[in-house]
Amino acid sequence: MIVFDNVWFSYGEREVLKGVSFSAKFDERVALLGESGGGKTTILKLILGLIKPDRGRIFIDGVDITELSEEELIPIRRKFSIVFQEGALFDSLPVKENVAFFMRELLKIPDDEIYSRVSELLRLVGVQGSEELMPEQLSGGMHRRVAIARALSVGKTKMFLYDEPTAGLDPINSQRIISLIEDLANREKIGFMIITHVVYVAWQLCNRFIFVEDGNLVFDGNKDELISTEIPAVKDFIKELFFKVQ
Amino acid sequence: MLCINSIFKLFKRPLYIDDVIEQMEYAGSSSVFIISLVCLFVGMALSLQLSAELGRLGLKMYTGKVVGIAVIREIGPLVTALVFIGRVGAGQTAEIGSMILGHQIDTLRVYGIDPVKKVVIPRVIASVLMLPCLTIIGDLICLFGGYYIAVFVSNQSGSFYWSSIIRELDFQNVFSGVIKPFIFGYLISCISCFYGLTTHGGAKGLRTSTTKAVVTSIVVVIAMDFILTRILLYALGFSV
Repeated sequence: MIVFDNVWFSYGEREVLKGVSFSAKFDERVALLGESGGGKTTILKLILGLIKPDRGRIFIDGVDITELSEEELIPIRRKFSIVFQEGALFDSLPVKENVAFFMRELLKIPDDEIYSRVSELLRLVGVQGSEELMPEQLSGGMHRRVAIARALSVGKTKMFLYDEPTAGLDPINSQRIISLIEDLANREKIGFMIITHVVYVAWQLCNRFIFVEDGNLVFDGNKDELISTEIPAVKDFIKELFFKVQ
Repeated sequence: MLCINSIFKLFKRPLYIDDVIEQMEYAGSSSVFIISLVCLFVGMALSLQLSAELGRLGLKMYTGKVVGIAVIREIGPLVTALVFIGRVGAGQTAEIGSMILGHQIDTLRVYGIDPVKKVVIPRVIASVLMLPCLTIIGDLICLFGGYYIAVFVSNQSGSFYWSSIIRELDFQNVFSGVIKPFIFGYLISCISCFYGLTTHGGAKGLRTSTTKAVVTSIVVVIAMDFILTRILLYALGFSV
Protein backbone atom coordinates (compact mmCIF):
# COMPACT_ATOMS: atom_id res chain seq x y z
CA MET A 1 0.00 0.00 0.00
CA ILE A 2 1.15 3.54 -0.78
CA VAL A 3 0.41 6.21 1.83
CA PHE A 4 1.13 9.91 1.43
CA ASP A 5 0.74 11.82 4.67
CA ASN A 6 0.73 15.61 4.30
CA VAL A 7 3.57 15.65 1.77
CA TRP A 8 5.15 18.95 0.74
CA PHE A 9 7.73 19.32 -1.98
CA SER A 10 9.33 22.23 -3.78
CA TYR A 11 11.85 22.73 -6.56
CA GLY A 12 13.78 25.72 -5.25
CA GLU A 13 11.29 28.52 -4.68
CA ARG A 14 8.47 26.79 -6.54
CA GLU A 15 6.16 24.72 -4.35
CA VAL A 16 5.08 21.69 -6.35
CA LEU A 17 3.16 19.74 -3.70
CA LYS A 18 1.34 21.45 -0.84
CA GLY A 19 0.33 18.95 1.82
CA VAL A 20 -0.81 16.05 -0.37
CA SER A 21 -2.37 13.08 1.45
CA PHE A 22 -3.78 9.92 -0.09
CA SER A 23 -3.43 6.16 0.07
CA ALA A 24 -3.62 3.54 -2.68
CA LYS A 25 -3.58 -0.25 -2.57
CA PHE A 26 -1.24 -2.12 -4.90
CA ASP A 27 -4.13 -3.84 -6.68
CA GLU A 28 -5.97 -0.60 -7.45
CA ARG A 29 -6.07 1.04 -10.87
CA VAL A 30 -5.39 4.66 -10.05
CA ALA A 31 -5.15 7.63 -12.39
CA LEU A 32 -3.24 10.70 -11.28
CA LEU A 33 -4.75 13.51 -13.28
CA GLY A 34 -3.88 17.14 -13.64
CA GLU A 35 -2.40 19.71 -15.93
CA SER A 36 1.24 19.49 -17.02
CA GLY A 37 3.54 20.86 -14.32
CA GLY A 38 0.95 20.23 -11.62
CA GLY A 39 3.10 17.82 -9.59
CA LYS A 40 2.00 14.42 -10.91
CA THR A 41 5.45 13.15 -11.91
CA THR A 42 6.79 14.49 -8.62
CA ILE A 43 4.35 12.18 -6.79
CA LEU A 44 5.64 9.23 -8.80
CA LYS A 45 9.25 10.11 -8.02
CA LEU A 46 8.39 10.45 -4.34
CA ILE A 47 6.76 6.99 -4.35
CA LEU A 48 10.04 5.54 -5.66
CA GLY A 49 12.17 7.56 -3.25
CA LEU A 50 13.97 9.25 -6.14
CA ILE A 51 13.39 12.57 -4.38
CA LYS A 52 12.74 13.33 -0.72
CA PRO A 53 9.77 15.37 0.49
CA ASP A 54 10.41 18.67 2.26
CA ARG A 55 7.79 17.77 4.85
CA GLY A 56 5.39 14.90 5.52
CA ARG A 57 5.76 11.12 5.38
CA ILE A 58 5.48 8.48 2.66
CA PHE A 59 4.83 4.85 3.57
CA ILE A 60 5.21 1.92 1.18
CA ASP A 61 3.84 -1.34 2.59
CA GLY A 62 3.99 0.23 6.05
CA VAL A 63 7.64 1.29 5.74
CA ASP A 64 8.38 4.99 6.11
CA ILE A 65 10.64 5.65 3.11
CA THR A 66 11.27 9.33 3.75
CA GLU A 67 14.55 8.85 5.55
CA LEU A 68 15.80 5.69 3.84
CA SER A 69 19.18 5.57 2.11
CA GLU A 70 19.61 4.55 -1.56
CA GLU A 71 20.53 1.00 -0.51
CA GLU A 72 17.59 0.71 1.87
CA LEU A 73 15.28 1.90 -0.92
CA ILE A 74 16.24 -0.93 -3.31
CA PRO A 75 13.69 -3.47 -1.93
CA ILE A 76 11.03 -0.74 -1.84
CA ARG A 77 11.65 0.18 -5.50
CA ARG A 78 11.57 -3.50 -6.52
CA LYS A 79 7.89 -3.52 -5.59
CA PHE A 80 7.20 -1.38 -8.65
CA SER A 81 7.67 -1.60 -12.40
CA ILE A 82 8.11 1.86 -13.79
CA VAL A 83 7.71 3.15 -17.31
CA PHE A 84 8.92 6.74 -17.49
CA GLN A 85 7.63 9.32 -19.91
CA GLU A 86 8.95 8.60 -23.42
CA GLY A 87 10.34 5.27 -22.24
CA ALA A 88 13.78 6.31 -20.94
CA LEU A 89 15.51 3.73 -23.11
CA PHE A 90 19.31 3.79 -23.20
CA ASP A 91 20.17 5.58 -26.47
CA SER A 92 23.44 3.76 -27.03
CA LEU A 93 21.97 0.25 -26.80
CA PRO A 94 19.83 -1.64 -29.31
CA VAL A 95 16.36 -2.78 -28.30
CA LYS A 96 17.44 -6.27 -27.23
CA GLU A 97 20.22 -4.89 -25.01
CA ASN A 98 17.82 -2.35 -23.49
CA VAL A 99 15.44 -5.12 -22.50
CA ALA A 100 18.32 -7.38 -21.42
CA PHE A 101 20.01 -4.61 -19.44
CA PHE A 102 18.55 -5.19 -16.00
CA MET A 103 18.46 -8.98 -16.39
CA ARG A 104 22.18 -8.86 -17.10
CA GLU A 105 22.89 -6.44 -14.25
CA LEU A 106 20.67 -7.91 -11.59
CA LEU A 107 19.73 -11.51 -12.35
CA LYS A 108 23.14 -12.78 -13.48
CA ILE A 109 21.70 -15.44 -15.79
CA PRO A 110 23.34 -16.88 -18.94
CA ASP A 111 23.11 -14.92 -22.19
CA ASP A 112 21.07 -17.63 -23.94
CA GLU A 113 18.41 -17.41 -21.28
CA ILE A 114 18.47 -13.61 -21.32
CA TYR A 115 17.92 -13.41 -25.09
CA SER A 116 15.22 -16.03 -25.00
CA ARG A 117 13.40 -13.95 -22.35
CA VAL A 118 13.99 -10.77 -24.37
CA SER A 119 12.31 -12.35 -27.42
CA GLU A 120 9.44 -13.54 -25.25
CA LEU A 121 8.93 -10.08 -23.72
CA LEU A 122 9.13 -8.30 -27.06
CA ARG A 123 6.54 -10.70 -28.45
CA LEU A 124 4.34 -10.05 -25.42
CA VAL A 125 4.35 -6.29 -26.02
CA GLY A 126 4.01 -6.69 -29.78
CA VAL A 127 7.39 -5.46 -31.04
CA GLN A 128 8.97 -8.77 -32.01
CA GLY A 129 11.56 -8.44 -34.77
CA SER A 130 12.86 -5.10 -33.49
CA GLU A 131 15.72 -6.62 -31.47
CA GLU A 132 18.52 -5.04 -33.47
CA LEU A 133 16.96 -1.59 -33.89
CA MET A 134 18.36 1.40 -32.02
CA PRO A 135 15.96 3.51 -29.90
CA GLU A 136 16.08 6.41 -32.38
CA GLN A 137 14.80 4.05 -35.08
CA LEU A 138 11.64 3.24 -33.11
CA SER A 139 8.31 5.02 -33.41
CA GLY A 140 6.84 6.62 -30.26
CA GLY A 141 4.51 3.66 -29.71
CA MET A 142 7.28 1.09 -30.15
CA HIS A 143 9.46 3.10 -27.76
CA ARG A 144 6.83 2.78 -24.99
CA ARG A 145 6.30 -0.90 -25.73
CA VAL A 146 10.00 -1.66 -25.46
CA ALA A 147 10.09 0.33 -22.21
CA ILE A 148 7.20 -1.77 -20.90
CA ALA A 149 9.06 -4.95 -21.92
CA ARG A 150 12.11 -3.72 -20.03
CA ALA A 151 9.98 -2.92 -16.97
CA LEU A 152 8.70 -6.52 -17.05
CA SER A 153 12.16 -8.01 -17.48
CA VAL A 154 13.18 -8.26 -13.84
CA GLY A 155 10.24 -10.31 -12.70
CA LYS A 156 6.96 -9.86 -10.89
CA THR A 157 6.33 -6.65 -9.01
CA LYS A 158 3.42 -5.39 -6.96
CA MET A 159 2.37 -2.41 -9.03
CA PHE A 160 3.02 -0.79 -12.40
CA LEU A 161 3.71 2.91 -12.54
CA TYR A 162 3.22 4.64 -15.88
CA ASP A 163 4.25 8.25 -16.47
CA GLU A 164 2.27 9.69 -19.38
CA PRO A 165 2.32 6.43 -21.35
CA THR A 166 0.41 7.84 -24.32
CA ALA A 167 1.96 11.33 -24.46
CA GLY A 168 2.82 12.31 -28.02
CA LEU A 169 1.23 9.23 -29.58
CA ASP A 170 -1.39 9.17 -32.32
CA PRO A 171 -4.85 7.77 -31.40
CA ILE A 172 -4.12 4.31 -32.84
CA ASN A 173 -0.85 3.88 -30.95
CA SER A 174 -2.44 5.34 -27.81
CA GLN A 175 -5.17 2.74 -28.01
CA ARG A 176 -2.57 -0.03 -28.45
CA ILE A 177 -0.71 1.13 -25.35
CA ILE A 178 -3.97 1.34 -23.39
CA SER A 179 -4.83 -2.24 -24.39
CA LEU A 180 -1.35 -3.41 -23.49
CA ILE A 181 -1.49 -1.78 -20.04
CA GLU A 182 -4.86 -3.38 -19.37
CA ASP A 183 -3.78 -6.81 -20.65
CA LEU A 184 -0.65 -6.76 -18.52
CA ALA A 185 -2.55 -5.78 -15.39
CA ASN A 186 -5.04 -8.60 -15.99
CA ARG A 187 -2.32 -11.10 -16.83
CA GLU A 188 -0.11 -10.24 -13.85
CA LYS A 189 -3.12 -9.62 -11.57
CA ILE A 190 -1.62 -6.42 -10.16
CA GLY A 191 -2.75 -2.83 -10.15
CA PHE A 192 -1.20 0.26 -11.63
CA MET A 193 -0.92 3.98 -11.16
CA ILE A 194 -1.01 5.97 -14.35
CA ILE A 195 -0.03 9.59 -14.64
CA THR A 196 -1.72 11.36 -17.48
CA HIS A 197 -3.29 14.60 -18.53
CA VAL A 198 -5.45 12.76 -21.07
CA VAL A 199 -8.60 12.02 -19.11
CA TYR A 200 -9.96 9.64 -21.76
CA VAL A 201 -6.95 7.34 -21.29
CA ALA A 202 -7.52 7.33 -17.53
CA TRP A 203 -11.25 6.70 -17.98
CA GLN A 204 -10.61 3.60 -20.09
CA LEU A 205 -8.07 2.10 -17.71
CA CYS A 206 -8.80 3.16 -14.14
CA ASN A 207 -11.48 2.96 -11.51
CA ARG A 208 -10.06 5.56 -9.17
CA PHE A 209 -9.11 9.12 -10.08
CA ILE A 210 -6.93 11.54 -8.15
CA PHE A 211 -6.80 15.10 -9.43
CA VAL A 212 -3.86 17.33 -8.57
CA GLU A 213 -4.12 21.03 -9.21
CA ASP A 214 -1.42 23.55 -8.35
CA GLY A 215 0.16 21.15 -5.85
CA ASN A 216 -3.09 20.36 -4.04
CA LEU A 217 -5.09 17.16 -4.20
CA VAL A 218 -8.52 18.51 -5.12
CA PHE A 219 -10.37 15.34 -6.07
CA ASP A 220 -10.19 11.64 -5.18
CA GLY A 221 -13.01 9.40 -6.30
CA ASN A 222 -14.43 6.76 -8.64
CA LYS A 223 -15.96 7.11 -12.13
CA ASP A 224 -19.40 8.14 -10.89
CA GLU A 225 -17.95 10.75 -8.57
CA LEU A 226 -15.70 12.05 -11.36
CA ILE A 227 -18.49 12.72 -13.83
CA SER A 228 -20.75 14.26 -11.21
CA THR A 229 -18.10 16.44 -9.54
CA GLU A 230 -18.79 20.14 -9.06
CA ILE A 231 -15.13 21.09 -8.61
CA PRO A 232 -14.55 23.65 -11.39
CA ALA A 233 -10.96 22.62 -12.21
CA VAL A 234 -11.95 18.96 -12.52
CA LYS A 235 -15.10 19.78 -14.48
CA ASP A 236 -13.04 21.76 -16.98
CA PHE A 237 -10.54 18.96 -17.22
CA ILE A 238 -13.09 16.22 -17.97
CA LYS A 239 -14.87 18.16 -20.72
CA GLU A 240 -12.73 16.18 -23.17
CA LEU A 241 -14.23 13.00 -21.78
CA PHE A 242 -17.82 14.05 -22.51
CA PHE A 243 -16.78 15.03 -26.03
CA LYS A 244 -15.19 11.60 -26.64
CA VAL A 245 -18.16 9.72 -25.13
CA GLN A 246 -20.63 11.62 -27.33
CA MET B 1 31.43 14.98 -2.67
CA LEU B 2 31.37 13.32 -6.08
CA CYS B 3 35.19 13.37 -6.22
CA ILE B 4 35.41 11.63 -2.83
CA ASN B 5 32.52 9.29 -3.59
CA SER B 6 34.10 8.15 -6.85
CA ILE B 7 37.34 7.24 -5.05
CA PHE B 8 35.51 5.28 -2.32
CA LYS B 9 33.46 3.34 -4.85
CA LEU B 10 36.35 2.73 -7.24
CA PHE B 11 37.13 -0.83 -6.17
CA LYS B 12 33.65 -1.80 -4.95
CA ARG B 13 31.95 -4.47 -7.09
CA PRO B 14 30.58 -4.53 -9.74
CA LEU B 15 33.49 -3.02 -11.65
CA TYR B 16 31.84 -2.39 -15.06
CA ILE B 17 35.02 -3.17 -17.01
CA ASP B 18 33.18 -3.04 -20.37
CA ASP B 19 31.96 0.48 -19.62
CA VAL B 20 35.49 1.54 -18.68
CA ILE B 21 36.86 0.18 -21.98
CA GLU B 22 34.09 1.89 -23.95
CA GLN B 23 34.83 5.20 -22.23
CA MET B 24 38.58 4.77 -22.76
CA GLU B 25 37.95 4.34 -26.47
CA TYR B 26 35.80 7.50 -26.52
CA ALA B 27 38.16 9.57 -24.36
CA GLY B 28 41.40 8.18 -25.76
CA SER B 29 41.68 6.94 -29.32
CA SER B 30 38.87 9.18 -30.58
CA SER B 31 40.69 12.24 -29.21
CA VAL B 32 44.13 11.52 -30.72
CA PHE B 33 43.54 13.34 -34.00
CA ILE B 34 42.23 16.62 -32.56
CA ILE B 35 44.89 16.71 -29.83
CA SER B 36 47.63 15.99 -32.38
CA LEU B 37 46.35 18.74 -34.64
CA VAL B 38 46.20 21.34 -31.87
CA CYS B 39 49.59 20.34 -30.44
CA LEU B 40 51.22 20.45 -33.86
CA PHE B 41 50.23 24.10 -34.34
CA VAL B 42 51.08 25.02 -30.74
CA GLY B 43 54.54 23.46 -31.16
CA MET B 44 55.11 25.32 -34.43
CA ALA B 45 53.94 28.66 -33.01
CA LEU B 46 56.11 28.21 -29.92
CA SER B 47 59.15 27.35 -32.00
CA LEU B 48 58.56 30.35 -34.27
CA GLN B 49 58.32 32.77 -31.35
CA LEU B 50 61.36 31.34 -29.60
CA SER B 51 63.46 31.24 -32.77
CA ALA B 52 62.68 34.89 -33.43
CA GLU B 53 63.35 36.03 -29.89
CA LEU B 54 66.39 33.85 -29.22
CA GLY B 55 67.79 34.77 -32.66
CA ARG B 56 67.84 38.43 -31.61
CA LEU B 57 69.93 37.43 -28.60
CA GLY B 58 72.17 35.17 -30.69
CA LEU B 59 70.89 32.12 -28.82
CA LYS B 60 68.88 30.48 -31.61
CA MET B 61 70.54 27.10 -31.00
CA TYR B 62 68.72 26.92 -27.65
CA THR B 63 65.33 26.76 -29.34
CA GLY B 64 65.16 22.96 -28.92
CA LYS B 65 66.08 23.14 -25.25
CA VAL B 66 63.50 25.81 -24.42
CA VAL B 67 60.79 24.20 -26.57
CA GLY B 68 61.53 20.87 -24.88
CA ILE B 69 61.32 22.19 -21.34
CA ALA B 70 58.21 24.29 -22.04
CA VAL B 71 56.38 21.50 -23.84
CA ILE B 72 57.24 18.63 -21.50
CA ARG B 73 56.74 20.48 -18.24
CA GLU B 74 53.96 22.91 -19.02
CA ILE B 75 52.49 23.45 -22.47
CA GLY B 76 51.94 19.81 -23.44
CA PRO B 77 49.94 18.83 -20.33
CA LEU B 78 48.00 22.10 -20.30
CA VAL B 79 47.07 22.25 -23.99
CA THR B 80 46.12 18.58 -24.02
CA ALA B 81 43.97 19.06 -20.92
CA LEU B 82 42.21 22.08 -22.44
CA VAL B 83 41.42 20.20 -25.65
CA PHE B 84 40.32 17.23 -23.53
CA ILE B 85 37.89 19.49 -21.65
CA GLY B 86 36.32 20.66 -24.90
CA ARG B 87 36.08 17.25 -26.46
CA VAL B 88 35.65 14.73 -23.64
CA GLY B 89 34.54 16.75 -20.60
CA ALA B 90 31.80 18.59 -22.49
CA GLY B 91 30.70 15.29 -24.01
CA GLN B 92 30.50 13.65 -20.60
CA THR B 93 28.35 16.48 -19.21
CA ALA B 94 26.05 16.50 -22.23
CA GLU B 95 25.67 12.72 -22.21
CA ILE B 96 24.96 12.41 -18.49
CA GLY B 97 22.74 15.51 -18.58
CA SER B 98 20.61 14.04 -21.32
CA MET B 99 20.43 10.78 -19.35
CA ILE B 100 19.10 12.81 -16.42
CA LEU B 101 16.54 14.64 -18.55
CA GLY B 102 15.48 11.40 -20.25
CA HIS B 103 15.02 9.67 -16.84
CA GLN B 104 17.68 7.09 -17.73
CA ILE B 105 19.57 7.80 -14.51
CA ASP B 106 16.31 7.52 -12.55
CA THR B 107 15.69 4.18 -14.26
CA LEU B 108 19.09 2.93 -13.08
CA ARG B 109 18.34 4.04 -9.53
CA VAL B 110 14.92 2.40 -9.56
CA TYR B 111 16.53 -0.94 -10.34
CA GLY B 112 19.16 -0.51 -7.65
CA ILE B 113 22.09 0.32 -9.94
CA ASP B 114 24.27 3.06 -8.49
CA PRO B 115 24.67 5.76 -11.17
CA VAL B 116 28.01 6.82 -9.66
CA LYS B 117 29.37 3.27 -10.12
CA LYS B 118 27.78 2.66 -13.50
CA VAL B 119 28.07 6.08 -15.13
CA VAL B 120 30.59 8.26 -13.28
CA ILE B 121 33.41 5.90 -12.28
CA PRO B 122 34.01 4.41 -15.77
CA ARG B 123 34.34 7.97 -17.10
CA VAL B 124 36.68 9.02 -14.28
CA ILE B 125 38.89 5.94 -14.75
CA ALA B 126 38.96 6.43 -18.52
CA SER B 127 39.93 10.10 -18.15
CA VAL B 128 42.62 9.41 -15.55
CA LEU B 129 44.18 6.70 -17.72
CA MET B 130 43.80 8.27 -21.13
CA LEU B 131 44.77 11.90 -20.50
CA PRO B 132 48.40 11.00 -19.61
CA CYS B 133 48.62 8.87 -22.78
CA LEU B 134 47.20 11.70 -24.86
CA THR B 135 49.60 14.13 -23.19
CA ILE B 136 52.60 12.01 -24.20
CA ILE B 137 51.31 11.90 -27.78
CA GLY B 138 50.57 15.65 -27.65
CA ASP B 139 54.08 16.37 -26.32
CA LEU B 140 55.67 14.40 -29.15
CA ILE B 141 53.57 16.10 -31.82
CA CYS B 142 54.33 19.49 -30.25
CA LEU B 143 58.05 18.73 -30.37
CA PHE B 144 57.75 17.64 -34.01
CA GLY B 145 55.95 20.89 -34.80
CA GLY B 146 58.80 22.76 -33.15
CA TYR B 147 61.34 20.67 -35.04
CA TYR B 148 59.73 21.49 -38.39
CA ILE B 149 59.95 25.23 -37.74
CA ALA B 150 63.43 25.08 -36.22
CA VAL B 151 64.88 23.07 -39.11
CA PHE B 152 62.92 24.13 -42.18
CA VAL B 153 62.05 27.73 -41.36
CA SER B 154 64.72 28.83 -38.92
CA ASN B 155 67.48 26.76 -40.57
CA GLN B 156 68.78 25.18 -37.39
CA SER B 157 70.39 21.79 -37.04
CA GLY B 158 67.85 19.00 -36.58
CA SER B 159 70.22 16.72 -34.71
CA PHE B 160 71.16 19.52 -32.32
CA TYR B 161 67.45 20.29 -31.78
CA TRP B 162 66.73 16.68 -30.79
CA SER B 163 69.87 16.20 -28.74
CA SER B 164 69.11 19.31 -26.71
CA ILE B 165 65.58 18.02 -26.10
CA ILE B 166 66.85 14.54 -25.11
CA ARG B 167 69.18 16.16 -22.61
CA GLU B 168 66.12 17.70 -20.95
CA LEU B 169 64.38 14.33 -20.57
CA ASP B 170 65.57 13.85 -17.01
CA PHE B 171 63.45 12.54 -14.14
CA GLN B 172 62.43 15.99 -12.86
CA ASN B 173 61.11 17.24 -16.18
CA VAL B 174 59.41 14.03 -17.22
CA PHE B 175 57.88 13.48 -13.78
CA SER B 176 56.49 17.02 -13.57
CA GLY B 177 54.98 16.65 -17.06
CA VAL B 178 53.48 13.22 -16.49
CA ILE B 179 52.00 13.66 -13.02
CA LYS B 180 49.83 16.62 -14.03
CA PRO B 181 47.59 14.83 -16.58
CA PHE B 182 46.57 12.20 -13.99
CA ILE B 183 45.29 14.95 -11.71
CA PHE B 184 43.79 16.98 -14.58
CA GLY B 185 41.97 13.92 -15.92
CA TYR B 186 40.47 13.19 -12.52
CA LEU B 187 39.36 16.78 -11.97
CA ILE B 188 37.94 17.26 -15.48
CA SER B 189 35.92 14.08 -15.29
CA CYS B 190 34.59 14.73 -11.78
CA ILE B 191 33.55 18.29 -12.70
CA SER B 192 31.95 17.18 -15.97
CA CYS B 193 30.04 14.32 -14.36
CA PHE B 194 28.92 16.54 -11.49
CA TYR B 195 27.41 19.14 -13.83
CA GLY B 196 25.87 16.35 -15.91
CA LEU B 197 24.22 14.80 -12.86
CA THR B 198 22.87 18.14 -11.65
CA THR B 199 21.30 19.05 -15.01
CA HIS B 200 17.70 20.23 -14.87
CA GLY B 201 15.43 22.39 -16.97
CA GLY B 202 15.39 20.78 -20.43
CA ALA B 203 17.56 21.79 -23.38
CA LYS B 204 18.36 25.17 -21.84
CA GLY B 205 19.45 23.47 -18.61
CA LEU B 206 21.66 21.10 -20.59
CA ARG B 207 23.30 24.04 -22.35
CA THR B 208 23.90 25.75 -19.00
CA SER B 209 25.37 22.59 -17.43
CA THR B 210 27.71 21.98 -20.34
CA THR B 211 28.90 25.59 -20.36
CA LYS B 212 29.43 25.57 -16.59
CA ALA B 213 31.32 22.27 -16.78
CA VAL B 214 33.67 23.57 -19.48
CA VAL B 215 34.28 26.94 -17.83
CA THR B 216 34.79 25.44 -14.37
CA SER B 217 37.11 22.75 -15.73
CA ILE B 218 39.25 25.31 -17.58
CA VAL B 219 39.59 27.53 -14.51
CA VAL B 220 40.27 24.61 -12.17
CA VAL B 221 42.83 23.01 -14.51
CA ILE B 222 44.74 26.26 -15.01
CA ALA B 223 44.70 27.06 -11.29
CA MET B 224 45.73 23.48 -10.45
CA ASP B 225 48.51 23.70 -13.03
CA PHE B 226 49.94 26.69 -11.20
CA ILE B 227 49.64 24.99 -7.82
CA LEU B 228 51.20 21.76 -9.07
CA THR B 229 54.01 23.65 -10.80
CA ARG B 230 54.78 25.46 -7.57
CA ILE B 231 54.74 22.24 -5.55
CA LEU B 232 56.74 20.23 -8.11
CA LEU B 233 59.41 22.89 -8.52
CA TYR B 234 59.81 22.96 -4.76
CA ALA B 235 59.70 19.17 -4.34
CA LEU B 236 62.08 18.46 -7.20
CA GLY B 237 64.62 20.94 -5.94
CA PHE B 238 64.37 23.70 -8.55
CA SER B 239 65.11 27.19 -7.28
CA VAL B 240 62.91 30.01 -8.52
